[in-house]
Parts: sequence; C-alpha cells; structure tokens
Amino acid sequence: MKKPLSLSRRHLLQGLGSAGVALPLLEAMVPGKAFAQTALPKRYIVFFDGQSLGADDDPVHSQFVPNTVGRDYDLKTGLAPLGALKSEVSVVSGLSIPTANGGAVPSGGRRDDFHVSSLSPLLSGVRSPASTASAGVTSDQVVAGFIGGPPTSLVYRVQADWYLSVSAPYGRDMISYRRNSTGQLVAIPPQVSPRQAFSSLFGSFTPPGVDPAAARKAELDLRSRRSVLDLVHKDADRLKPQLSRQDQLRLERHLDEIRALEARIAAVPPPQTSTCVVPADPGADPQAGAPQGTDGAGNNTYSTSNGYSGEEQRARAFCDLVHMALACDLSRAVSLQMTMFQSHLNMFPLTGQATDLHELGHGGVPGGTSAMALGHAWHVKHFAYLIQKLRDTPEGNGNMLDNTVLVFLLEGGHGNDPGGARALSSHSTENMAVLVAGRAGGLKPGQHIVASGKHPAQVLVSAMKAVGYTGNSLGEVTGEVPELFV
Amino acid sequence: MRALTLGLTAVIFCACEGTAELQGPRGVGVDLPIELSPQVTGMRRLTRVELDQTLYDLFGDTTAPAQRLLLPDPTDPFDNDYESQLPSAALIEGLENLALEVADRALADPARRLELLGCSPSGPGDTGCFTAFARELGRRALRRPLTDDELQALLTLQPLAVEDDSFDTGAKLAIRTLLQLPEFLYRVEVGTPEAGRPGVYRLTPYELATRLSYFLHGSTPPDWLLDAAGSGELSSKEAVRAAAERLMGETRATARVQRFHALWLGYHRLPHAPALAGAMQAESDALVKRVIFDRGDTYFELFRAPDTFADAALAAHYGLAGAPASGFGWISYGGTRRQGLLSHGAVLSAGAKFADTSPTQRGIFVRTRLLCSEVPPPPPSVNADQPPTSSTGSPCKKDRYSVHASTGNCASCHQSIDPVGFGLENYDQAGRFRSTDLNLPQCPIDGEGRVTGLPGGDFSFNGPDGLSQVLTESPAFDRCVVTQVLRFAGGRREKPDDAMAIDRFTERFRAQNRDFRALLLDLVSDETFAFRTEEAP
Repeated sequence: MKKPLSLSRRHLLQGLGSAGVALPLLEAMVPGKAFAQTALPKRYIVFFDGQSLGADDDPVHSQFVPNTVGRDYDLKTGLAPLGALKSEVSVVSGLSIPTANGGAVPSGGRRDDFHVSSLSPLLSGVRSPASTASAGVTSDQVVAGFIGGPPTSLVYRVQADWYLSVSAPYGRDMISYRRNSTGQLVAIPPQVSPRQAFSSLFGSFTPPGVDPAAARKAELDLRSRRSVLDLVHKDADRLKPQLSRQDQLRLERHLDEIRALEARIAAVPPPQTSTCVVPADPGADPQAGAPQGTDGAGNNTYSTSNGYSGEEQRARAFCDLVHMALACDLSRAVSLQMTMFQSHLNMFPLTGQATDLHELGHGGVPGGTSAMALGHAWHVKHFAYLIQKLRDTPEGNGNMLDNTVLVFLLEGGHGNDPGGARALSSHSTENMAVLVAGRAGGLKPGQHIVASGKHPAQVLVSAMKAVGYTGNSLGEVTGEVPELFV
Repeated sequence: MRALTLGLTAVIFCACEGTAELQGPRGVGVDLPIELSPQVTGMRRLTRVELDQTLYDLFGDTTAPAQRLLLPDPTDPFDNDYESQLPSAALIEGLENLALEVADRALADPARRLELLGCSPSGPGDTGCFTAFARELGRRALRRPLTDDELQALLTLQPLAVEDDSFDTGAKLAIRTLLQLPEFLYRVEVGTPEAGRPGVYRLTPYELATRLSYFLHGSTPPDWLLDAAGSGELSSKEAVRAAAERLMGETRATARVQRFHALWLGYHRLPHAPALAGAMQAESDALVKRVIFDRGDTYFELFRAPDTFADAALAAHYGLAGAPASGFGWISYGGTRRQGLLSHGAVLSAGAKFADTSPTQRGIFVRTRLLCSEVPPPPPSVNADQPPTSSTGSPCKKDRYSVHASTGNCASCHQSIDPVGFGLENYDQAGRFRSTDLNLPQCPIDGEGRVTGLPGGDFSFNGPDGLSQVLTESPAFDRCVVTQVLRFAGGRREKPDDAMAIDRFTERFRAQNRDFRALLLDLVSDETFAFRTEEAP
C-alpha cells in the first residue's frame, strides 16, 4: 500500500517514529489523488440555524425566501446581510419534510412532535427514530469519507450552552453523526471553544521568520506531543485485552479519537503561503453565560448575560478558523452549528430583541415572522462573512469559492403542524428553504429556485455531488435539485 | 435467575475456601454471599468536577482546568452517567491542552516543583530522580503502582529532556502522558474473576480504594488510602468501613454529599442572578450539612426543618423576618407553610416553563426525582412546546391546565402530574410566596395539590410542608432516595436486576433511623461493593 518513493520528504519525516499509527493516517500519507496538486481540493460546509422560517399564526411564511424567482432575486430581512454576495448564493425554497401525521413515520420523514424530530431527515435523510436524535450518518460525515485530504472533519458549535437549567438538550446540541470503528452510529460532540479549535489546528505551526532556536524548539515540541500520544496509545493497547467487551468498545471509541489526533499532528502544517497563514490567536474564550434568568417578577430576563456566552465573537472566531483550516488544507468537511435545535440563545445582545431564538417563533416579542427574520439575519451575517473570506482567497485561476460548497440549513419552515393542530406554525417542516453557496463541481449560484415538493436532503445530495459524491441519495432520500447546476 | 442455577457450585466453592482471605494486589478479602449480586459497572470517565478535584489533589492546581477546557458532562440529573459519555475530538484536544497547562503550572512554582519531584536532579538526564518522581506520581495518578514496563515507557521520554537540556522537560512530558492515559481519565475496573460466579469480578484493593474515594470524596484516593490498599489492609468489611468513616470525616465528604443533592434536585445551576443563586445554594448546602453531618438526624429532617439559613437579602426575598444583622444565620419559618428543603428557592426554581412555574414540570420533577417514577414523554402527536389554553378562554392557570385532564390521551398521564405541581403554585419560580397567578390578580391560587397512586392511595396536600409530609410518610420516597444514591454511586440508571439491592439498602436505611451517613457507610461496606458484575456483551 505504501509507496515510499512517491512520498514527499515531509511525509517521510512524519512516518518516522510513529509505528503505532492507524490506517487512516497511512492513507493520508499516500500522496494519491488527495495530495497530488493536480486538482485543487474540494470542500463541503454545513451551516445550521436552529429556528424555523415563520412565526405562529402569522400568515407570512417567511421574511427570508425572495419573491423573485431566478437570478437577481430580492433580499428580504433574513437574507439582507448577503448584500452583493447574493450572486454567490442560491436559495432553494418550497421544500418539505413529510410527517407521520398521526401514523407511522414515512421514509425520510419526521415524527409529529417537532423539536429535534427534523434533525435526522434534514441532516441524514433518514426518518426520525423514536428516541434518539439521528438515525443516519449526516452528510458532512458521508463527505468526509470520500473527499480526501487530511482525515479530519471539523465539527464546531457556536452556541456555547443549552441555557436552560434543569432540562437537558437531548440531542438538540449535535448535528454530526458518523459510524465509528465498531460500526456503531455515534453523535460527534462539537468543539465549542474557539481557543481550543485554534490550538488544535494551528498549535504546531511555526510562524515564518522566527529564529532558528525557536524553530528547533517548535520541532521538539511537536515530537514531544507525538511521543506522549504514542505512549498513551501503547498503554491503551496493553489495557484493552483485560477489559470486558463493552469496555473494549468504549476504549476503542476513545482510541479512535486519539488516532485522529495523532493523524492531525502527523499532518505537519503545509508551508505557509500568501493564502495559508496562521490566523490571529482568538484569545481566551468569551465568558460562559449562566442559564436563562428571571427578574424579580418571575419573568425571563434577556437583557443580561444570562443565555449568552459571547456567541457573536465565537461565531466570528469559528468562521475565521474554518476559512484558514480550509485555506491550509487541514480539513475539507466542516459542520458549523450556529445554534441548537430549539435554540434558547438570548437574542438581546445580538438583535436587541428581549427574547430567545426559540421564543421568536412563538411571539416572544411582537412582530411575528418579521421579528423572527432578525434572528435569521444574524446567522446569515456570519454565513456571508465566511463566503466573503473564501471569495477573497485566491486559488488556482480564481478563488476558494470555486472549489467549495456551503449549505445553510434551518430547523424548520412554516405551515401545518400535525402535532399541535395549528395551520400556521413555526413547528412545521412545510415551506422550508436551504441556501447553497459556492461554485464547486459546476454549481451556478445566485438563483432562487422553487423546488416545490422536494426534500431538503435532495439539496444536500446536489451539494455532495458538487464535491465528488457519486451516489444519488442521502439516507432514504433519493434525487437532487439539478437546477443548482444550470 | 442465573444466580440460582449457579448456586450449588458457588456454595461448594465457598465451603472449600472458607474465610481464607485473598490479600494484596490480587483481590480484596471480602466474601461474597451467594444470594448477593454486585452492581454491573463499566468504565466511567471522571466528570469535570471530579477531574478538577483530582488535579488539585495531585498538583495543587486551583484553576479548574477541566471546567475551562472540556465539554460539559451530560447531566440528567447526575453528571456521571457513563452510559451517556461520548469521546470526541473536542474531548481529546481539550485533554491534551489540559495536560500541557497542568504540567507547566505544576513545575513553575519552585516549592511545588520540589514537592512533586521529590529529589533534586543532577542534570537533565538524571535517571534516578526521574524514575523516583515518575514512580510516585504514577502511583497517585493511576491509583495503583506502575509496572516496570510502564516506568520504562516513561523513561523513553528522557532523551527529549536531554535534547532540551532541561530535566523539567522530561518531568512535564511524564505528567502529560499520565494525564492522557485512559486509566487516568477513566475509572477502569478489571479485578480478578470470582470462582464459581461467572461475570463477577473481585476488585483489587486499589480499585476498591478508588471506588470508595470517588464515591465519597469525588476525587483520587488520598495517600493513606493507597497505602492501605498496597499493604493489604482493606481486607475485610470492617476495614473498608473504617476507611470510609475516615473519608467521611473530611470536609470533602460534606461537599460531595452537597453536590449529590444539588445535582439530584437540579440546583447546581440556577436561573438567577449570581448573588441570589449563590445565596440559595448556600441555604440548601447548610441544611444538608446540618442534618447529615452536624446532627446525624434522620434524613427526613431535611424535609421537615422549621428554620432556614439565610442572610438579610435572602430573607427579604422570601419575605421572612428575623434575619441576622450581618451574614447568614438560622431563621424560623414561623407560621408559614414552609418547611425543609422543598421550601428552598433552590428547589422551587426547578421546573419553570413559559417564563413561569409549570405545574406539569414541577409534577414531573416530584414524580421522577423524589418518587423515582418513570413519566413517559408526551405522545409524538402532542406539541408540548406551547402553553395550554383553556377551552373557556379563561387566562387562569388552573383553567388552562385543566385542558390536559380533559383531552383524550393526555389525561391519563397529566392526572398524575399536574395536581402535584398545583400544590406548589403558591410559590413562584424563585421560591417566593404569591396568592395569585403571575401578572393575573384576578386568578387566585388555592395551592391545593394531590399525589395519586402512592402505596396507600391518594394524598392531598397544600404547600411544601404538606408535600413533605406526604413524601416522608410514603415508602416510595425513602426507597427513591436510596435509588438516587445508588445511581450516583454506580454512574448509571438501575436495571431490573438492581431491585433487590435497592430493597435491601432501603430496609437497612429505615432500620438505622434513616441516617444518611449510615446509608453511605452501609453501601460501601456491603460485600457487593468490593465486586463488580461485567456488563452483558
């Protein structure tokens, strides 16, 4: 399998002294299609907004989906932050996820109760299971399996906490699922600390221009990290046979992650270029906020730090990190969960609205769907920021957007709620919309496509195809939205 | 069932073995009566709080690195359920950063460095000093002596120290390695197979010491306990009990029992401004300490106390008179309906929804946390995310929630839930008394509540004192207390096989005047505590 002659000097150096490396690393070391610079790498980004489009009992489905169909569409409140970048973003509207409607959950559909029931069909194309959040591998992890490059997908979340005391998020806090080495479907708990994400991605980069002594020190540090992990790994291998079957599986899952870290360390940073540079250290993470609070009269308060942990700064920092991780080819598949399903993020510091993101859909402040759109606009602002950064980064004969696809997914749409028997509800997966940005694989962004009756996972199939997916389905959902390429 | 079919062989084995004690590192010398089945256990990760306490004990690190650098533990209601722990890239990266930070800090302070190293290195490659340091720290970090192979493995780090011309570089790498070993991060119990009891393992003395210490202190075993494990002193029920009593005498045990209550009753985090939240937690912690540690009262006093620990601000919050001029003091509840822990703002803050108290959420809280009933989630077709609305248009809560009881498949569950919560409605979500619905002076609150389906029937009550009386008179309540303690001790929910053990400990709890300290001691000095049953594959 290894072809030492074709390994670069860099990869040879990494191979030394890492006898215990796992298969994924060896694959990563093979400079085949992924690392041969004949074709530029492709990248896939899932961006998630944990709210629906329209508010309860408001006849307006959204202030997000344009009126105009086709190119040069109009920008409503929710998409306003796109501005001129709308030429890089397609809106696919008219989507829906079927519901059980009192019966069995249909293929690719969801249970009738709302929160988190759309997670599985939306992100993995598999009908929502009875008790857990996802029943299938999510698209970012399907892509991570074939997209090549470093064996690391980035799984980040901006909303730092669930923000309700006493209750637990029950899966609303994770949007990536994969199969581990034992074949089990597992959730991937996201990194929520920009500080740690930075140190994981760029901790071993040596800034250019440092003196030789500092460079030697950095190299020694890197070898030290490897030596430590090597001992950890060997010790775990020794321990494993002594354990019960269940504990062996637990240890194996832990070792999966150690191997992945070893692989990330072994992937010595590429030489820094005009586009791959160590980003500014994001510094200490913003202070973690308390759960939602109450004022003296027992009402929730939103004007304080309760329910907020500096998500504005965190979102910016994660977008910067994602951009540079892609520019340096440290990863090619990204899941960036801005907010949780049924998000109780305090909107006051972000939009001045004295409510949380979830309550915006239920009349938390006056204004219905229009008020809700301000919450979406906050998400879209950061989405646009990331698109702009990718577009500003030259690559090949164009820029990074040429080889990237970004999809922006929302928890729900607006319309009938079979669970609550309400005709115009935020608890609905009718009238959903998905944004698709980037030009990877011949995508033609900048259009509003009405794909009535289609499933959001079909948009994901198209996005996956744009980065080389050869299949035609995601989970139980087959087919795509071909207009995205026209 | 399996125990029955195996009974014969095991009895024969016991007869041959008599009371012969297996001492030393091979196993704890406690006999396991054949009718007892030890709890099933799997490897469990240290919680963030346990990890920080452990790092304090090992290195004097006071910066709470785990709470800063690792993801929160899944908490429902306890933070140590190993069946819901997931490894992740975020965990592994956080741990690597944590190990780096802790190692740097540990050697940065000269006094702490000397204490940790235990020797003065003659140079970067001083193998003798390195070995002595690694042996001692390894024993404390892994909660057992290192093998020679493990020491040799750590010695392979020394060339990096020589290359860097710094002994401390090697010492830091050894610390970083030890902190990232699965055997440090997880409590791994292996033990030795128990003859005649398939699937049952006898813990090593070190594993037993670790179990004891993390249960009672939430931290790594102190040196004296490791020494006792190493010298074979933990060789009888009595010896284990004596060690447990010594652990229970330390303030850390008080903090651990307070944390158990805070997790169980949901007040480890409170939705209030820091000053109010802190005062409420201090109030509840004080009562837990007084009943269990200072007075050794019956546990029910926790739910009957006629006074509470408050400062002027908290007393004013509750509308209570008699606060001390400065600081906290015990003040009487006087003629109010308040009594014990259920009157505390900390507990009454649980179960808010729709920006107000929710009789449904409070009812679920009492049913699941205090009576250990299973309350099924709403049927899939129900939207429980919206406040109920009354069929008559009344804005009053009692009318609005009555829709639950009159709606088809909602009624069966809500009839056993909502009336419990309505009995606490006179207390708002910060624990203050009120006589009308929030912002609705036209809606009086009668405070009438009802707990149905208890052994002995249905019981009406009004307010925290009434509910406390219903609970303390019900055999379902003290059994639930024992169940919650076992969940916290075992790091998992009980399985059907655990019912016998719960009954047994409940009986003994009752027989000992429901002394909570005695319950803990009883649990750890029980024969089963020195064993584990392997999880079914």
